Amino acid sequence: MTAGLAPPVLVDAGAPPRRRARRRQTLAGLAFLSPALVLFLVFIAGPFAFAIFLSVHSWDLLTPREYVGLENFRRLFSDPLLPKAMLNTFLFALASVVTHVFGALLLALAVNRPMNRFVSYFTRSAVFFPYLLSWAAVALLWKYVLDPTFGLVAYYLDKIGIDAPNWFVDPSWSLPAIIGIDFWYTIGFTFVIMLAGLQTVPSELVEAARTDGANRRQVFFHVTIPMMSPVLFFAVIITFIGAFQIFDPIQIITKGGPDDATMTIVMYLYQTGFQAFQIGYASAIAILVFIVIMAVTGLQFLLARKWVYER
Amino acid sequence: MRFTPDHPTSGTSLSRRRLLQLMGAAATVPVLGAAAGCESPGSTTGGGGGGGGGGDTLTFVYRGDANQQEAFNKLFAEFNKVEPDIKLKAQGIAADTWGDFSNTVATRIAGGQVPDIIQIATEGQRIFASKDLLEPLEPYMERDQDVVDDYFADIDPNLVEWNTKYASHDGQTYYIPGGYNTVCFWYNTETWAAAGATPPAPGWTWDDFLTAADKLKAAGVYILPIGSDPFTAIMPWMLTNGGSPLDEDWATPTFDTAQSIESLQFCRDLIANGYAPEPGGAFDAGEALTKGTLAAIAGGRWPVIDMRRLELVDKMAIVPMPQKTGPGSPVGWDAWPITKASEKKDAAWTFIKFMMSKEASEFYASIGGTIVPARLSVANSPAFTDDAPEGTTALSEAISYATPVPSPDRGAEVQTAMINAWDKALSGNESPETALAQANEELAGLL
Repeated sequence: MTAGLAPPVLVDAGAPPRRRARRRQTLAGLAFLSPALVLFLVFIAGPFAFAIFLSVHSWDLLTPREYVGLENFRRLFSDPLLPKAMLNTFLFALASVVTHVFGALLLALAVNRPMNRFVSYFTRSAVFFPYLLSWAAVALLWKYVLDPTFGLVAYYLDKIGIDAPNWFVDPSWSLPAIIGIDFWYTIGFTFVIMLAGLQTVPSELVEAARTDGANRRQVFFHVTIPMMSPVLFFAVIITFIGAFQIFDPIQIITKGGPDDATMTIVMYLYQTGFQAFQIGYASAIAILVFIVIMAVTGLQFLLARKWVYER
Repeated sequence: MRFTPDHPTSGTSLSRRRLLQLMGAAATVPVLGAAAGCESPGSTTGGGGGGGGGGDTLTFVYRGDANQQEAFNKLFAEFNKVEPDIKLKAQGIAADTWGDFSNTVATRIAGGQVPDIIQIATEGQRIFASKDLLEPLEPYMERDQDVVDDYFADIDPNLVEWNTKYASHDGQTYYIPGGYNTVCFWYNTETWAAAGATPPAPGWTWDDFLTAADKLKAAGVYILPIGSDPFTAIMPWMLTNGGSPLDEDWATPTFDTAQSIESLQFCRDLIANGYAPEPGGAFDAGEALTKGTLAAIAGGRWPVIDMRRLELVDKMAIVPMPQKTGPGSPVGWDAWPITKASEKKDAAWTFIKFMMSKEASEFYASIGGTIVPARLSVANSPAFTDDAPEGTTALSEAISYATPVPSPDRGAEVQTAMINAWDKALSGNESPETALAQANEELAGLL
C-alpha cells in the first residue's frame, strides 16, 4: 500500500477477525503478565538502571548528586580493599559450590533408597529444616555453638584435648566458620534439588546397566551422574549466584572482620554505600558484582556443553 | 486457554476495553503494594513516611527499641497534654547503634522523608549540620532567651561548649543538647563481697582493679567483659591512661601513642590471664551478672533498664572506671535540631522547648529514660536516682572529666578502624604496637 492510494486507517474496525483475535490474545497475555512485569520493573530493572545512573555520580544521600563520569569505575582499580573482598567472595563461593554439590549429592544418595517411611520422611525433613529458619536466628545460634568459652564445639574439642580456635576473632578461622554455617543452613535446599534429580533417573537405564554387568560404582558414574548432569549444573549455578551475594551471616556475626577476613563483595558494597555514604562508588561495585556473576555464569554455560548431558 | 471468539470463556468474549481495564487494575496492585511498603518499619504510631514538608503533623524521628519507645510515647503523651493543638507523629527507629540510626535517617531523607525534628547523637551531629540540612536555631533561641538561659544554666558548661565546638561546622547553633551518656563501672556488690574483693571506690586504680580481678578469678568469676566497642571498651581504658584515639580537634589520630598501646596491652592481658571471657562469642553479660559468674560491666545509664528487669538494681553499685593516670570517660549526647525542609518550624521549636523543660526532663528520667538528663538539677534528683543503683550520680559527675566520642565526618569508618585494631590485638593475632600503628595510619587517611 502506498500513500495517497488509500485513506489512513485510524481504527482497526476493518481489520480481519483473525488479526483482531490475535491482538486480543496478545493483550490478554500482557494483562496476565503485567503484575510480574511491573514488579520486575519496580524492583529489578528500575533499581538496576538507577544503579547505572548513580555509578557515574558522587552522592552521599544528603546533598545533591554530582556527575563524576567514570571516576568511580577508575577507583575500582586502585581500591586496596576491593581485591581482598573479591578474593574472599570467590573463596566462599568456590567452597560453597563444592561442599553443597557434593554434600547434597551424598545426602540425597543416602536417602534415596528403600527404607522405613518414617525414617525417610524424618531424615528428609531434618536435612531441610534449617533452611526454614531465618539467617538472624541461625547466626545467633552458631555464635553460641562456637563461643570460645562456653560453646558446644569448644567443650567437645576440649574433651579430646584440642584447643578450639576463637572462630570469629581469628582471621584464619572466621571465613571457614562462615562457610560451615552457610553449609549447615542452606544444604537442605541443594539436597532437595539433588533428591528430585536422582528420582528422575530412569530406572530402566540403571537396570539395563546392571544387566550388562556394571557394578554400583560404574552405574553411578556412567548412568546416574550423566542423567543428573542438568540438575547438577542447575545446582552449581544457583549455589554460585547465592554464595557470591553472601551478606546476612557476615553482617550479623563478623561485620567483615576480623582484619577483613570475612569482607565479601556485597558486605563491602553495603559498608561503602551505607556507612561511608559513597553511594556512587557503591553502585559501581554493584555493577562490578553483576558483571562478574554474569561472566562466571556465562563461562559455566560454555563449560556445560562439555559435561552436561541433554536428554 | 486463549481468549478468542473461537474459545469463549463462560460464553463471554473479552473486549479490548475490558482487557485494558484489567491490565490497568493488575498493574496498580504491585504499585500500591510498593507504596504501602514505604511504611517505616520502626514507626510507633502507625503513620506513613512522614515527610516534614507537608501535612499538619509534626514528625520527630528518634532512636529507641521497644522498651525505649514505650517511655518516649509516654513523654509524647505529656507533650500533647501541654500542647494539644500540635499533632506529633513520633517515629522510633530501633537501631543497634547511633551509627546505624544515622544511616537509617540519611536513607529516609534521601528517599524524600524529611522529618521536622531528628534526635541526633554526637556521632552524626557535625555531618548532618555540614550538609545544610538543618536550620540555625539562633532566631528561635533569641525569641525564647529566658527558656534557653534557664536550660543552659542548669546543664554542664562542657555540654554547652561542645554543642557548638563539635556539633557545628560553622559556629552557628544547630542543636539543643539533650541528655548524655558517660561510662562508669557497674559492679555486683554481692558477687564482689562473696569473692572477698575490696569494693571499688572513686579514684581506684588499675592496680586495685587487678587485685580484685585476682580474687574474683579465684572464686570463678570474670571481673569484666573486654570487647572492642569504642564507647564502652576502647575509650574508657585509653582515657583513664591519659590517651585518646584522636586529638581534641578530631584532626589527627593519636591511636598509637604509648598510652594507647599500654591500654590495649592491659586489656589483652585481662583476657590472656583469664580475668575476662574470650571475645568473639555470645557471652551474655546480663545472664552472667545474675548467675554471679561476672562481677561488673562498663556502661552509661542504659543498663538500668536491664538491671530493673533482672531485679539487680539493689545489688549493683556504680563508680568511675579504674584509673591509671587520672579519671576518664567518653561522653556522647543527643541533640534536637529543626530540619531546613520543615514547614512547621515554630511547632518544632515548641516541641524542643518542651524537651528543655524541667518537667519533661524529670518525667522522662522517672519513666525509664536511658540517658543522663542534661539538667543537673534533674540528674541529682530522685527522678533520676530512684530505682537505680547506688552511686548513680557518678554518671552525671563524669561529664566534668569526660571526652567527647570522636565523630569526624567519616566517623563510621573511623570507628570501624578502631574496632578492627582492638580486635586484632585482643585476639592475640597482632601485637598492640603493630595493630595500633596500622590503624593510626588508616585513621590519618580517613581524617
